[in-house]
Amino acid sequence: MSAIQHIAFRITAGVVVLALIGGGGWAWKTLNTSRSAVADDQVTLAEFTTDDEDAIARGNYIMRLGDCAACHTRDAGEFAGGYQVGTPFGTLVSSNITPDPDTGIGTMTERDFFNAMRHGQGSKGMLYPAMPYTDYAKLTDQDMHDLWAYMSTLTPISHNVDEDAGMSFPFNIRLAMAGWNALFFDNSGFTPDDTQSPQWNRGAYIVEGPGHCSACHTPRNALGGEIASRHMQGAVVDGWFAPEITSNPHVGLGDTPTEDVARYLKTGSDGVAFAAGPMAEAVEDSTQYMTQDDLLAVAQYLKSLPGSPAVAPAPIPASDTAMQAAAQSYEVNCSACHGLSGEGIKALAPGFAGNHALLSENATNPIRAVLVGARAAHSHMLPTGAGMPSFAWKMDDQDIADVLNYIRNSWGNAAEPIGAAQVSEARATLGARDKIIWSEAPSR
Amino acid sequence: MNRREALFSLGAMVASTGVAASAKEMKGYPTHTALSADHLPKPRMGGALRVFTDETDRKTLHAVIDRLIPADAYGPSASEAGCLEFIDDQLAGDYGAGTALYLQKPLHPENEEAIMGAPQFLSTPRERYDSGLKALEAYAQATWGGAFHALSPDQIDEILTGLEAGTIDLGAGVNGQAFFELMLQNTREGYLADPIYGGNRDMAGWKMIGFPGARYDYRPYVERRGEALNLSPVSLIPND
Repeated sequence: MSAIQHIAFRITAGVVVLALIGGGGWAWKTLNTSRSAVADDQVTLAEFTTDDEDAIARGNYIMRLGDCAACHTRDAGEFAGGYQVGTPFGTLVSSNITPDPDTGIGTMTERDFFNAMRHGQGSKGMLYPAMPYTDYAKLTDQDMHDLWAYMSTLTPISHNVDEDAGMSFPFNIRLAMAGWNALFFDNSGFTPDDTQSPQWNRGAYIVEGPGHCSACHTPRNALGGEIASRHMQGAVVDGWFAPEITSNPHVGLGDTPTEDVARYLKTGSDGVAFAAGPMAEAVEDSTQYMTQDDLLAVAQYLKSLPGSPAVAPAPIPASDTAMQAAAQSYEVNCSACHGLSGEGIKALAPGFAGNHALLSENATNPIRAVLVGARAAHSHMLPTGAGMPSFAWKMDDQDIADVLNYIRNSWGNAAEPIGAAQVSEARATLGARDKIIWSEAPSR
Repeated sequence: MNRREALFSLGAMVASTGVAASAKEMKGYPTHTALSADHLPKPRMGGALRVFTDETDRKTLHAVIDRLIPADAYGPSASEAGCLEFIDDQLAGDYGAGTALYLQKPLHPENEEAIMGAPQFLSTPRERYDSGLKALEAYAQATWGGAFHALSPDQIDEILTGLEAGTIDLGAGVNGQAFFELMLQNTREGYLADPIYGGNRDMAGWKMIGFPGARYDYRPYVERRGEALNLSPVSLIPND
């Protein structure tokens, strides 16, 4: 399951309850599309043409900010949909958003397009919130007009997608999303905060609007709604931990200079940490295309967000027996790439000293990396995309817990201890192999 | 094609090469990096011997390898270090089956030995041990009137010395000198290979020569010349 699939799972679970609520009375507010009446309701996307190259270029940029390709480009061609989102209630398939009139969105007018993007109301009914219209609602009229201009330049691809054919009853009733929206969808546009700088407001717009960062980085409640009080404070998404990206200095971005946060988004690494997993995709398809001004704005905004109460615990002392054994294990297995002092290799392998995401109480990512390996983002600036090998075959659960405790509690680091049981659970979930067993017992 | 056309087509070729040289981005390669089973080491899993199931063969080899590496102040004997298990395990697998060897006729020993710089065989290492150990036992019975493994260390040394020098003929198509080299090589390998393969028990071979084992990186130590580092050896798959 991908990150998006996982979120869809949570959201769909919420729909169980809300299918009932939705039938009763939904708030008119969440269905109100009047602010999108600024868009034309006559010319379809297939018919629409423009020679405004600037608008098309700006629209291309909005597409990058929104990372449309992440879900809508798969094997069928660019933006032709077909990405299968598995849920226990059936399979959702991402739609064909090329201007093809029969299988794409070619018959949509600009108004229809606005309604889908900003209000979750598509040509086939309510959209499932796996599509982040909850964030795209913040897109300005100008950005929407530009995106429309860009969409008109896409090559139409005939690829028929039946988005919810794989959804079982009652989840195939799109109207049920009206109930979900009534509870969790803020159907209002972006409102700048006049007490903040234009740069901060630009960052807020990108992060909370097209960038839809909170889709992964904010934990969700049982019904799949984001928990506002823990905004951007880290969440588990499909076997990965999307770390806290707030002002918290211990596990968030508080201690990372603005320029380094921007560098991470631009290149996939801030010189210490590297993007991997779903964030690697986000860097590759989206954030590396952002302008330096926008990257700095995003960084400034994130660093201003209220952090979780997480503070550094007292580190496990280096004199601890397990720590001393793990020091040798680290030297033997890890130090060649990650450095004897956890300094890593510039542009290639992550450093551990001062790597704040590594210190999150939730150790899903480092456990995962040791068990099944990981691959760094490959960006235009850092094209290597170096790989971390799996150590499942040569380390047992306790070995892995010990060496991660060493990494998380050395060189100034401090983090909660990891137990072998956590590693054991992850090994089973990830399908990682067991450590190879051997015997030097004499045969006679 | 005249000269002008040839030059034009060359120019077009260069131009098209220029286009082809623009890098294509790789997409969708696997994020998991786990090695497939055939890339992972295949350690000895313990249990009974699989090749040396004949008691006389086993005792003969045991006697040979413990004269090649006897126990002394520096470390255990070859058999104490697990070399018998190591050789048995290797002979039971691809090495013993000669999977990497060309074993088809025709064979012209004089030519091939000259080309390869060593005797060549049509038999697998497993077959060579079988015939060699039986020939050794027969030689001991014929020469000393007793079992090879029951001979005194001096008597065994005399036989091994003769084999190495090529002065003892084991007959029956067995190249005694080459068989001695094979046993010596495999015993050394068992004594110094990673303990996961059955030999080098308790890393005794590595401790004897001061080898620190399967460490990935020695850069922290390269500059510390002439110093006793006293690094404890590490197996590829440490058994805790």
